[in-house]
Amino acid sequence: MDSSVHLDNTIMQFGEFTAIQQTDLTIKSGEFFSFLGPSGCGKTTILNMISGFIDPTQGDIKIGGKSMRGVPANKRPTSMIFQNLALFPLMTVAENIEFGLEVRGVSKSERKKASDRLLELVALEGSGNKKVSELSGGQKQRIAIARALAVEPQVLLLDEPLSALDLKLRQHMRTELKAIQRKTGITFIYITHDQGEALTMSDRVAVMSAGRIQQVADPITLYRDPHTAFVASFVGENNGVPGKVIEANSGLVVLDCGPLGKLTGRSQGNIAIGTDATLFIRPEHFRLQAEDGMHTLRATIDEVNFEGAYLTLNANTPANLPLSIQLGTHQFSESLKKGAPVSLSYNQQDAIVIAGGGHV
Amino acid sequence: MFSQLKSRFGSSLAVGIIGMIAIWLIGLVILPQILMVDYSFRPNLLPADIGGPNDTYSLMNYETLFSNKIHLAIFFKTIWSSVLVTSLTLVVSYPIAFYLAKVATPQKAALCLLLLIIPFWINEILRTFSWYIILAYKGPLNALLLGLGIIDRPIRFLSGDGGVLIGMVYAYILFMIFPIYNAIESLDANQIKAARNLGAGWIRTHWRVVIPHAKPGIATGCIMTFMLAAGSYAVPALLGSPGSRWFTQIIYNWFFEGGDWNQGAAYAFLLLIICIGFIALVMRVFKVGLGDIAK
Repeated sequence: MDSSVHLDNTIMQFGEFTAIQQTDLTIKSGEFFSFLGPSGCGKTTILNMISGFIDPTQGDIKIGGKSMRGVPANKRPTSMIFQNLALFPLMTVAENIEFGLEVRGVSKSERKKASDRLLELVALEGSGNKKVSELSGGQKQRIAIARALAVEPQVLLLDEPLSALDLKLRQHMRTELKAIQRKTGITFIYITHDQGEALTMSDRVAVMSAGRIQQVADPITLYRDPHTAFVASFVGENNGVPGKVIEANSGLVVLDCGPLGKLTGRSQGNIAIGTDATLFIRPEHFRLQAEDGMHTLRATIDEVNFEGAYLTLNANTPANLPLSIQLGTHQFSESLKKGAPVSLSYNQQDAIVIAGGGHV
Repeated sequence: MFSQLKSRFGSSLAVGIIGMIAIWLIGLVILPQILMVDYSFRPNLLPADIGGPNDTYSLMNYETLFSNKIHLAIFFKTIWSSVLVTSLTLVVSYPIAFYLAKVATPQKAALCLLLLIIPFWINEILRTFSWYIILAYKGPLNALLLGLGIIDRPIRFLSGDGGVLIGMVYAYILFMIFPIYNAIESLDANQIKAARNLGAGWIRTHWRVVIPHAKPGIATGCIMTFMLAAGSYAVPALLGSPGSRWFTQIIYNWFFEGGDWNQGAAYAFLLLIICIGFIALVMRVFKVGLGDIAK
């Protein structure tokens, strides 16, 4: 079955405020797709449009190729897991799971069969008669998943459902969600501000900022090849060094970074000589020993933090631009201490230059 | 309670507060009630005979109601009409309460609440009189309906049960709206979205999610409206007489026209007992406890 979701030149406005800028995006059938962005970037609005709680101001939402314009929320082939789960507190666990089937007029015995099967899927056999209030946070989470799957949706929408859980449970649920998605083959659309969740679970991620999709890519591409300064700094940690373009050829760009000297990196898109641009270097790409073809920055150590497998250094540069550096613990030496000078080298292929300067 | 008050206000003020509450409860609530109970079991006698050989306790005053067919009919009519008023008020209030609590923007809700409350700054008698004017045979409502061509000749709303029902629904609507509004407001909006998302239409969403949640509020509203309706005097007197009489009017007559306080007290207690029975029934039907209602 085709359960792709197509945002067909969708625009969403609330009065004067444009929550979603014109967006054209296809989420493939059976894909685990995430919208990643800070709060207020419009990702929940997208979920509300797909589920039918609001209709886009312009454009259309298509599910499985069918236009959803004018189709009310209760008639769409979608099912949602809410941030606060929104289980019905006055119903038992089984009644919660069976609610969607009850609405569809499924017989009592069929409903019972379905809820038993789903309770087994989420590893909570035999808790059908419990009250919702008797469940733990993780169990509630699973019941919410079971309830959403009971109606056999084509598309499952997840609105930051793991944010209320503690770290360990959250990591466990990530694996479980991914497994359920593989087992059922349903299109999962996941909303989160937590990049860890988005990167570990998703086939593809759309990074959003201020109502606009910045980049859609698989997690590794997103990390390695950010297209915009926002993606570069929002996904993973990054150091942004602003400068002016003085040379640009064969995919490499040289920036004049003032007191930091001339720095070279891989160019992202077309970057013209004389314009402002920012060079992004990830903390783990810095080296203490320069090798051939590497570029070097001089800095002073502000702080050294030991994190187990690695060290993080905060350093300041002559341009008063703070840098964050991550080193393997084996690189630790007594000379790495507060106030000590340090020379940081990087490979030009690991640095990315993105047009636009100023703040990051 | 005393120690709490004492630690907060000091002992002299605490004694004062408790004392005032005690005076109010005992002097103004409990003693008059006991006096009325006493009255209701004794015959109506001339002042000279009170305390004499004829002044004995009996159920005579209570029996009067059951031997007087007209009074009995009015008694049951009052109960039945109050049930009707309560149901009608519930039907009218629930959508308004839901709209205010979950649909309207905060500004609109505030405006609507203000518009609902302002008329209630006016005395109940005056509000009822305004309905007297609206519903009059040659009044504006009939004129409007005639003008729109909905009716051929004016309807006699007053001097019957119709006017009383309309007047009472209006008089007590706030007592229904507010408890339900409060109850629905505390419902997580995602519950409604979840029900819709799982395929429920509006009726089922209300029936399975909103109403179960709002049950304590609905019960509170129903109890208040029923009590006020059954105990109402002004509305039936103004909008119903002479065609529609209310049991409270009979009680009034016993006290102030018949001069028979003993008989009036017995009637009043019968009404009270039925009302308490109704509350118990509503609480049973809605499966709510006193604690839920006090919320």
